[in-house]
Amino acid sequence: MKLTRSWIDDFVSVPTDDPIELLEAFESLGHEIEAWHPIKAAFRGVVVGKVLEVAPHPDADKVRVTQVDVGSETLEIICGAWNFEAGAVVPVAVPGAVLGEDFEITRREIRGVVSNGMICSEIELGLGDEADGIMVLNDDYPASADAIGDDFAEFMGLPDVFYEVNVTPNRPDCLSVYGLCRDLAALYQIPIRDQNISVDASGEPNDVEVSIEIPELCGRFAGRRVRGITVGPSPHWIRWRLTQAGVRPISNVVDASNYAMIEFGYPTHAFDVDRLGNTISVRLASEGESIVTLDDQERTLTAADLVVTDGSQPVAIGGVMGGASTEVHDGTTDVFIEAAYWDPATILVSSKRLDLRSEASKRFERGADPSFCPKGADRVAQLLTDIAGGIPAPGPVDVNPADVQPWTIAYPLSETERILGVALDAETTTDLLNRMSFTVSGTDPLTVTVPTRRPDVQRPVDLVEEIARLHGFADIPDTVPSGPGGGLPYEEQRLRRIREVMVGAGYYQMMTFSFIGDADLDKLALPEGHVARSGIAVVNPLNETEGVMRTTLLPGMLKAAASALGRGVAESRLFEIGKVFLSSGAKLPDQPDRLGFILAGSVAPTWDAPSSEFTVYDATGTWEVLSTALSIPDASVRQASAPVFHPGRCAEVLIGDVVVGTVGEVHPSVARSFGLDGRVVAGEIDLAELLIDRGPWQYHPPSIFPPAIFDMAFVVDSVVPGASVVGAASVSDLIEKSEIFDVFEGESIGSGKKSIAIRFTLRAMDRTLTDQEVAPIRKQIAEAVAASVGGELRGEL
Amino acid sequence: MTISLGEPMDALQTLLNDAPERIDRAMTIAELDALENDLVGRTSPIASARRMLGQIKDGAERGATGKRINDIATQIQAMIDARRSDVETAEESERLVNDAVDVTLPGRRPRRGTHHLIQSTIDEIVDIFVGLGYTVATGPEAETEFYNFTALNIPRTHPSRAESDTLYLDYGDEEDEILLRTHTSPMQARYMEQHDPPTYVVVPGRVFRADAIDATHSPVFSQLEGLAVDEGITLGDLKGTLASFAKQFFGSDTQVKFIPHYFPFTEPSAEMHAYTDGRWIELLGCGMVNPAVFEHVGYDPERYTGFAFGMGMERMAMVRHGIADLRTLLDADRRVLEQYR
Repeated sequence: MKLTRSWIDDFVSVPTDDPIELLEAFESLGHEIEAWHPIKAAFRGVVVGKVLEVAPHPDADKVRVTQVDVGSETLEIICGAWNFEAGAVVPVAVPGAVLGEDFEITRREIRGVVSNGMICSEIELGLGDEADGIMVLNDDYPASADAIGDDFAEFMGLPDVFYEVNVTPNRPDCLSVYGLCRDLAALYQIPIRDQNISVDASGEPNDVEVSIEIPELCGRFAGRRVRGITVGPSPHWIRWRLTQAGVRPISNVVDASNYAMIEFGYPTHAFDVDRLGNTISVRLASEGESIVTLDDQERTLTAADLVVTDGSQPVAIGGVMGGASTEVHDGTTDVFIEAAYWDPATILVSSKRLDLRSEASKRFERGADPSFCPKGADRVAQLLTDIAGGIPAPGPVDVNPADVQPWTIAYPLSETERILGVALDAETTTDLLNRMSFTVSGTDPLTVTVPTRRPDVQRPVDLVEEIARLHGFADIPDTVPSGPGGGLPYEEQRLRRIREVMVGAGYYQMMTFSFIGDADLDKLALPEGHVARSGIAVVNPLNETEGVMRTTLLPGMLKAAASALGRGVAESRLFEIGKVFLSSGAKLPDQPDRLGFILAGSVAPTWDAPSSEFTVYDATGTWEVLSTALSIPDASVRQASAPVFHPGRCAEVLIGDVVVGTVGEVHPSVARSFGLDGRVVAGEIDLAELLIDRGPWQYHPPSIFPPAIFDMAFVVDSVVPGASVVGAASVSDLIEKSEIFDVFEGESIGSGKKSIAIRFTLRAMDRTLTDQEVAPIRKQIAEAVAASVGGELRGEL
Repeated sequence: MTISLGEPMDALQTLLNDAPERIDRAMTIAELDALENDLVGRTSPIASARRMLGQIKDGAERGATGKRINDIATQIQAMIDARRSDVETAEESERLVNDAVDVTLPGRRPRRGTHHLIQSTIDEIVDIFVGLGYTVATGPEAETEFYNFTALNIPRTHPSRAESDTLYLDYGDEEDEILLRTHTSPMQARYMEQHDPPTYVVVPGRVFRADAIDATHSPVFSQLEGLAVDEGITLGDLKGTLASFAKQFFGSDTQVKFIPHYFPFTEPSAEMHAYTDGRWIELLGCGMVNPAVFEHVGYDPERYTGFAFGMGMERMAMVRHGIADLRTLLDADRRVLEQYR
């Protein structure tokens, strides 16, 4: 809702001139100011003048010489416009006046005659588009006759202030200047001037008859016949105000309708009666019926659209847009002004389906005031009398099957304290509600009568809202209740731990969109039928590359890493925690939380270490750190082969027997398809198993006795996993730790073989181990490794 | 016969007299070791004198001579020890001088990444509310139309349901379509369905809108929803709670104001604005839970009242950290991520 301060001044005398104070007043009422700015005159030193004489120029025939009374003196001014004669009241830029930024008006000679100023046009003054001729104020501004010599900016109400008010959807009554003024009047406790809608109904009686076939969807249809109209441009004050309100002036008939709508909020429509005939009937459209609307588009209607007909053919889409066939045109003299009340939901659906949302449909879909219909038509008729020579017919047309009346709400006073936390007595409450134009009777509960313009007020809590607004949120004391506790649920704690571990391991958290595209899945080279292939499509995606819900975090991470490397970041260490979306048998898709991580580029060299590349061991190491920090007792890793990953450098990570994720080096061809060269390490782990509450970890006291430490190396087939050798070697509870510290392949071992060296740490809780105890364990280890994985001990036992 | 050790003792005296100068000449531990051997070692005059002690028959004299030898040995040993300490200190000093490095070279940094700013913002705000006795819940991002709209008193015809505003998924049935939740508010209904009052919960999470990316919009962003339902919860509680939150998050001198607003699922509704950097900015939407929402979840609206609020995490982070463009938060560039401390 766009309006000006001067328009507000038509109806209420707001006790402040400070635009910010008024802005805050609007805000305190719940009307957020979307934008505002001062409207300054684009000129200085222009006064109202009266042309006393007009004479030809002695030496030029394109211009005339005028004598203009500017109050303090009479000036001789040369003027090139011909749209006025003596007696015209006009804006005069006297010498010293400035137009626009810096165009100073001076005395200057034109073919031997000195011109002492300039008579101005709209466009020269920044007051409109009219450039053909000067502004003649007599008709548009009758008060100008008494303002000769006055400053013209002041006369025009400049400077003014523009406001764009964001009216919330529950307040259709505030989609007008008058409606907003009502709220200001209530806030400031000042009177609001009458609407003063009156019609000089001196014309012939009306013979257009109205009938409604669907009273449940068109509850009221009022109208006023106006004859004798001359279609033409509107006076300047209407065009100026409409322009400020963001509406393009068209012609006096259209402008009158728009002006009345912005002023009082009711949308109307004018039919050319010569084209319409004398019958109006309202019904639902039949399926497939068509109409050419005002914008010259042919619209195909459905049985859910409302139409106004001339008895048979549609002449308007009810509440949405008029039809071309009965449109007011330059030769129109006789109009019927419609002000109808339409079912809000029907208008919303209709206007949306037809893509014809307008200022009118917006008001109808939110709920116009059915009580105002006849006044809405009459205000337009009144304007047409003033600006288009219209002569209204007597007697408004008013078909009112719904006959909506104000309704009442029983309001217990205790509701105020229950909801707001502040108790207000009956007198205060009644006063507040009266200010909002609710009538109140009784004491407790109050019987509150709601005007029909407030469809949003139906229940006691709707009145609480009104009371809160006017009482003022600021005057409600702050209190801080405490909840019963509960804290961070276990899963949230675990998620925080996981993130902390990843950050502590050098990874940077990122957040990518939840969308991927089919192309991303192609780049991953997932086989047909792979679960990550069947992503759930977005019905209305923002673009093609974001048309599918992600089934894996990998594309987002690969793209992020590639983008970072492309910008010269040498190494990327990124992780993300987020949901993927998988089809399920249930109503909602499965939306498991996943952890993804990626290492790309290379570890940057430092002065004491050369650059190095990331390998699968960075991935498995990340899992080891993570599972340790989460005290998962039975975490492990096993060799695997999975899509997306390097066939020989891929591992499944497990908790017990459950595979919870895949980590490793990304297949070089997949990496390349995302624009990544070199070894790229990534992993994706399902978090569900990691979030399970396994109870608090339990303390194991360390032994105070010294350990026995020894190394053993075994030659095994190259394909034997190191973890199997270590596993086979776990022969005694006395083994505190056994870790591979060297792996060697070479001719001395034999082809197809490798040597794995393990450092064993043995320790007892209650004694120092002796050689006699350790020696048999070494033997057992050697035998177990030989038996289990064919490992041959290197060197002596 | 009595023999005395006159001559050897004279030699010892000479040894003692010469010792300081000789010891001071030893510049290294090796030299000092050699000298120690010469002066008090097994082949030293002192050792020889001790070996000859037994030849003195007179007990008193033997004792006196022995004591004299020991005195000398002790004195010399003390001088050696003192010198040794000096030489060691000097040697260590020299070693350390040679061991000096350029400490302005880059240190060996243990690696550490960062939490995403949106994450740390969520964590911090969650902690503030946990401190006020709230718990935390999360919910599905792919949500039903019912929970996202209907249960929140958003009418079937409301514009926010349109495809121009909401992203729908090609999934499930026509009756109750599956969409990407447009706010975290569906968890109000889900949580209340599963928990009896008193209900104090915050719900952080990702939400979606059919918005193109620009400096202030993104199709994917994060919200945090709050809900407090109990007997006797009032708008004053809402104001007090959110004012307390703003002071904890933005600073203890943060001023806030509440201006009336409209949301279908709260009434009265408000927006909280905060004064920061010399201007008022809109921070979040809030209000008293609409009785219609209570009716949907089976809470008795006559008995319980409550408030709800929803705030955008991106907005909170941008206001607090001086980020002008929302797209910054979508950037995985290390130079951006490194700043999230």
